[in-house]
Formats: sequence, structure tokens, C-alpha cells
Amino acid sequence: MIGTLLDRFRGLKSFPRGIHPPHRKKLSEPRPIELFIPKGPLQVPMVQHLGAGCTPIVKPKQEVQYGEKIGDVEAFVSAPIHASVAGTTGAGIVAVLPSGRRVPAITLTPAAEGALPVGFLEQFLDRNWDGVEPTSFSPEAVVQGMRDQGIVGMGGATFPTHVKLKRDPNRPVDTVVLNGCECEPYLTADHRLMLESPEAIVVGLYLAMHAVGAKRAIIAIENNKPDAIEAMRRAALGRPGFEVAVCATSYPMGGERQLVWAVLGRTVPSAPKGLPLDVGVVMINCATAHCIARAVVRGMPLTHRVVTVTGRGVARPGNYLVPTGTLFSELIDHCGGLTDEVLKVVAGGPMMGPTVPHLNVPVVKGTSGITCMVDAETAHWVETPCIRCGKCVDNCPLHLSPTKIAHAVKFRDYAMANQYDMMACCECGCCAYVCPANIPLAQYIKAGKNQQRLMAAQNKK
Amino acid sequence: MTLIYAAIVLFGLTLLFAGLLGIAKEKLRVDEDPRIGKVLDVLPAANCGGCGFAGCADFAKAVVEGRADVGGCPVGGPSCAEKVAAVLGVEVVKTWPYRPVIHCRARREDKHGLVPYEGVQSCVEANAVGVTQACTYGCLGFGDCVASCEYDALHMVEGLPVVDYDKCTGCGACVKACPRNLIERIPFKKERMLVVGCSNHEPGKSVKQVCKVGCIGCKACQRLFANLFDVKDNLAYINYDNYTGEEELDKAVEKCPAGSVVFFGQPKPQYEEILAEEATK
Repeated sequence: MIGTLLDRFRGLKSFPRGIHPPHRKKLSEPRPIELFIPKGPLQVPMVQHLGAGCTPIVKPKQEVQYGEKIGDVEAFVSAPIHASVAGTTGAGIVAVLPSGRRVPAITLTPAAEGALPVGFLEQFLDRNWDGVEPTSFSPEAVVQGMRDQGIVGMGGATFPTHVKLKRDPNRPVDTVVLNGCECEPYLTADHRLMLESPEAIVVGLYLAMHAVGAKRAIIAIENNKPDAIEAMRRAALGRPGFEVAVCATSYPMGGERQLVWAVLGRTVPSAPKGLPLDVGVVMINCATAHCIARAVVRGMPLTHRVVTVTGRGVARPGNYLVPTGTLFSELIDHCGGLTDEVLKVVAGGPMMGPTVPHLNVPVVKGTSGITCMVDAETAHWVETPCIRCGKCVDNCPLHLSPTKIAHAVKFRDYAMANQYDMMACCECGCCAYVCPANIPLAQYIKAGKNQQRLMAAQNKK
Repeated sequence: MTLIYAAIVLFGLTLLFAGLLGIAKEKLRVDEDPRIGKVLDVLPAANCGGCGFAGCADFAKAVVEGRADVGGCPVGGPSCAEKVAAVLGVEVVKTWPYRPVIHCRARREDKHGLVPYEGVQSCVEANAVGVTQACTYGCLGFGDCVASCEYDALHMVEGLPVVDYDKCTGCGACVKACPRNLIERIPFKKERMLVVGCSNHEPGKSVKQVCKVGCIGCKACQRLFANLFDVKDNLAYINYDNYTGEEELDKAVEKCPAGSVVFFGQPKPQYEEILAEEATK
């Protein structure tokens, strides 16, 4: 609480509790975004979003152009999949997502020449958005454009954006918050994007505002990225209703409940039912905003994303513009390969990202980074009994009692875990980070949530 | 005098309550089928829940009401089924004893690409965070099944659960405990049963990258015994309806290039030494 008051005093937006892990962003922060064109076959999963999976609409051994739609489904909560390179499709396979989930996918072998349009990187990072008037698009056209180009939330949850930004007369939205916090250690993909293409992000944010009928937009950036704050401030200059909120560097600042509280002082009802929409707020990631602008104004599908390859376990860390479906192994080889002492490879950041089982895992729309960690970067834990110090309770940004939930899960008492509101947990991992007894609390809670969902699915049958 | 009044009042109250109890017995009586009690007497009273009901009493009620099969108790087996059938006066349908087998035979040293893992030493938790090993189908080896066994019939040997079929009652607790659904109960028609010791559906090349003994879907077994083996999604299955347990099944074990087809049921001698070693640790 005192930390929050101090941050307020310094003019920073902040939220109570949370932790301050080392940033370790210096490894990839100074590296500009590079285009990566894979040579080997890609595995393009048919499920890269929350919701119904797509069915392939191309045959094996078919020539496809860049950006051609290759998978689609009728369901409302879903997003189509587009060919991320020009090439030849292969047989349908089962791909393992970074989370360990198995989904249907199709292989795509890039053409030897012209796999991507000429000048793709320049086009992607185009800074000339003068003369684009977002209000000239109707809200319906914006939402339809996002649906057609397969835009999903790129912060990691991959919720289809056209569902999120659809206007609902019963729940009016007054503010759109742009999440440029990137509070996960190591990751710098959003940071680089805000530096290199801020104008597109601002246009995307304006389109999102226009779609939901909001009058105010807040660009939230942590204060460890002063150059990004400056770039976004300059890009947003002269746009009515836009403001830049400088947030304290604290984890998990980028969580929607924490950020909405920090910048607006509104409390979002707890998960799984509560949404920022309930308090008149919609939050989008800055990479999503970038894609919205490209999709709606230029008609470009979501086929590429900026991925941070980082950690001391990889030879050349950096930020790469990668087509979805690229295998981790190929991208890591491009970055000079793994060093000998690498211990584990994590998809995303180290706080929430899952360790990947092997490197034959494709980059999907929600993959923000690949963190290759060596022994010195990880903690070695031996679980010891809980000493009831209450540190996890003090640091839980959602005001839960992690130790109570974890113990209930440990003894398979899911009814008791639910009494302590297990499903409200966002799995940020603060509790496990601070636990002096080294109890992997977040893992217990995550397992409990999984079991709870399984049981709910069984009961439905 | 007071003493006599007290005695009279107490005696009167006794009569009153005895009368009330007598009336209550008649008025509030619940008619329970007497067969339920008799069935309960012949059940093993393990209350393990292996039948799918809340316990032996619940199962007995279900049998009498016709919601469960007389042979539904996996612990009691055929002898119990006969006794239950005798109580109810029906014919017992003879079934094979169903015993668990594990569809993964990769011991620790058979696996490639083990990921360093220091989290919770339990399968459910390890499965929730993704991985401890490259194979996303195979046994995690933390022994949730062993912990779930009420009969001490499962033991971890070199990172793989081994069933002690002398002690196993086939209650099915281990089947439910496995988060990767690797344990299945099959009809034990012979002393030893042929089992596909793999659950990996990936194509052969990917399987080879993660495991030395994984099924690569080569169909060598299917070519030998067409009616017994079936290969679906790069993985062999055995159709136990057509299982005879002839001696020539050894050929399938020999022919399997990956070594994923194995016998279950009499593995004790080869593991006894290791079991003794692990016990002394």
C-alpha cells in the first residue's frame, strides 16, 4: 500500500500489491525488428484463438498466395486463419501448441521465391498514416474488417477482437485502454513496435474507440520505457480524447484488472464472469491495435507478429517479425541456435509462459516471445512446508489467499478451493515468486483450475 | 410421600414415551427391500467406489433396483457375483476379470528430451503446466496412480508404474487418477496379456525423437495378426474381443521394431530384484 502511495506521489499510475522481478529486457531491447522468412515447412494450427477451431478450406498440395484464407468457421467466437507465406500446402497434421495442447494444423512449405510480398517489413512498420481518417469507417465496417482479417488479442489470451469490440447498447463503453505495459520480464516485442510504428498503433486505437463508441483513449506504458512513452505521445498528439498514462514498473501491471484500477480507479468484477466491459472499459494490446489499423485501413490479414527471442540461452537475442506457423526450432536456429548451457525454453515470458516440450512447436498469434533460460537465470526450488507467513496473500494482486487454494488443491478438495475463489486467479505467479517456503502455489492453482474445468465439462455431458 | 409421587410421574412418562415410540414405529416405517441388506453382507465392504457407486451400500441398492449388474463389483470378482446372484435369484453372466494395463512402457532411460522440472511432484500438477518431458502423451512418472491404489498393487519401477496382479482387484482407482488417461482396464483372458505400451499418436519420425520404445505406426503387427491389431492415427490398438492368447503372439513382440508391444501379467520375476532394491532405499 505504501508503495502505491509513493508511486501516486511521483505521478505514476499504480496498483496495490504485485511484485518487482528483475526486468532483464536489455538483451533484446536495443535490437530493431527484423523480418524472418522461414525456409522449412510451417505448421499452421487451425486453432490460434479462443473459441471454435477452424476447418481447413484448402486441399493438400495446393498453391496458396500470401494472405489467402486457409481456414474458417461459421461460429461467432472465432477468427479465420490466413496463409502467412506463399507456398504449397501439405497434409493435415496434429500440432502441439506451446501450451502443450494438441490441435489440428496444416503444413505449409514456403515458395523458394516470393514467399512474401516485396518490401513486407517496410510495409508492416509503415509510419505514414497521415490522411487516414478513422471516423470515415462505420463501426460495423471496422468490426467486419477485424473478423475478415482474423484479428485476435495478441497479448496472449487470443480472444477474437471483433467479439470484444462489438458495440453492445446495454453495456456502453466510455474508455478504451491501450495496454503497452509489457510487464513480463525479458519481453520487448511491444516496446519495439511502439518505437518503430507508433502511428499505426494510434490509428488502430482510434478505430477501436470508434467501433465501441468510446470518447476517451488511455495509452498505458510502464515508466521503464521512456522512449516508447515519448514516441506514443508524439504519435497521439492532436488526437482528441487521447492521453498517455505513465505507469509504475510493477508486475502484473499489464493484467486487465490491475491496469484498469491503476489508470481509471475502477474495480473490475472478479473472474471468470467479470470483464472490464462491466465498468465501461475495453482494453486492447498495442500489437492488436497495430493489426487493427493494418486490417481495417489496408486490408492486411493477421499473418505475422513480432516475437522476442531472448534469454542468455540463445546466441543472438532480438525482435523478429515472424509468420505464424514458424517452428520454434527454425527461428532459434536463425538466432544462432541455443547455447550449450540452456536449461529450458519458455513460450512467452518467464512469469506466465509455459515451458515447451520440444522445439517443434509453431509460433501462433499469441506467442509474444521465446525465452531461452540458462541455469543462472532460473531458481532451483525444493518445496518445504508452508510457514503461514502470509506473503502470498500480501502480494496477490487479486486479493486472493493463494496458500488456502493451493492446499485445497493439493488434497484434491476442489469445493473448498472454490470457496476461496480459485477461478478468479489470473495465474500471474506473484504468490509463487514471493513464497519463502518455495511452494509452487501458482502451479497448484493452475492444476486446480484445469481439474475444475474438466469436471465441469464432464458434468455437462 | 414425595418419593412415591416422583416414581409415579417417572413411570407415567415412561409409559407415555414407550407408547409414542410404538406408534412412531408403525407410522413412520420405511420399507426397505430386505435383499439390500443381504447383498451388502456378501459384498467385500471395501467401499472403494470401483463399481462407480458411492460405496458398497449404494451399489447393493443399485443392484437390487436393477441399476447395476450383479457382477458389477470389480473387487469381489466372480465369486462375489455368484453370491449376489444367489441372493437375487438370477443367473450370473460370466465375465473376464478386468485388470489395469499401462499404455506407456517408456522407462526413464527410454525417454529423450527430459525437461528439468522442479515443480510439484504430482502428475495432475505437472500435466497442468505442460511438460516435464518431450513426449506429450507418455507417463509422467510421479505416481498419482500409485498413491490412489488402496491395495498396494502398484509400484514405481524406474519411473513407470508396475502392476502387481496378485494384489490388484481391478477397482479402477488408478484409471481415474491418471491425468493422461494411460491406464485402461482390459479383460484378462490369460495369465499374460499382449498390450500396446504406447499412446503417442504422432507420426513415426516425431515419436522417434522423443522415445526409444514408442509406437511408430508401422503396421508390422497388423500384417501378422490382421484381426487382432488395428492401427489408427499412427498408433496400434488391440481388439481384445478377438484375443485368444495363443503362443504365437510372441511373434508380434519380436516383430515390433520399436518394442512397444509388450506382455503384461507376469512381469514379476524380472522386476523383483529392482523392487527389492527400491524398497531398501
